[in-house]
Amino acid sequence: MNRSISNRNILDEFAIKFCNIVEKYADYIIVSGFVAISSGRVRGTEDIDMIIKPLTKENFRLLHNNLMKNNFVCMQSDSYEEIYSYLSSNLSVRYTYENLPLPEMEIKFAQDELDNYQLKTRMKLTLTGLDIYFSSINMNIAFKEEYLKSDKDMEDAKHLRKVYSNIVNEDEINKIKKKIRELRLN
Amino acid sequence: MRDKTHDEFIERWAEFVKSNPEWKLHQSRFINAQYEKFSNFLNNLSKTKEGQRKIVELYNIKNLKGYKELLKDL
Repeated sequence: MNRSISNRNILDEFAIKFCNIVEKYADYIIVSGFVAISSGRVRGTEDIDMIIKPLTKENFRLLHNNLMKNNFVCMQSDSYEEIYSYLSSNLSVRYTYENLPLPEMEIKFAQDELDNYQLKTRMKLTLTGLDIYFSSINMNIAFKEEYLKSDKDMEDAKHLRKVYSNIVNEDEINKIKKKIRELRLN
Repeated sequence: MRDKTHDEFIERWAEFVKSNPEWKLHQSRFINAQYEKFSNFLNNLSKTKEGQRKIVELYNIKNLKGYKELLKDL
């Protein structure tokens, strides 16, 4: 494990390496906790959540092989067919570095209109210093306040509201919250 | 929110992040320390009786082949 102190941390390096491989095969977004953490929230996390545009089985095979070639392993299985069957059933799968169960990247296929909208409105966040795609700040605030709602999530939302006060859009947040109620809370 | 002082801390820290580019250095120290601690713990646990079995259960590892070095006794 790297002991040096630099601006980049272990989670950043893990995320960048993983995203650089995924982007060769599919549109993706990083969502939830890591959006807040890479925007300065100081808290622990075991995983990074990623949503990817659904892939064909063949393209997923190519992605999985590339991940394995770069020392990532899937906790569920080595078989791309088995992993693909999880993803196709709207279940998430977890990848880690070989021989190290944390940190992990939890990935799932986009499953509905809301996920597709997240992918469509994805953005890079200069403040994070990371050249990877995140779901929008308004989307993350809406999900945390309307759907996830734990203390940790409400604190993440509060942090994001403060740090990104220049791009927080209440109309957009309310529109997303309405969609969450329609699609996820019924 | 957990309590008022915690709430105030979140506000103060968010303000710090907005106005101080060096926030990342402080945060990276914190995150790297957590993972270093985790890595050391995992290493110690793997050497104990039943430690490797516990790691499999803790992290719900189904693909043991992916963690051959860590779980070499299984």
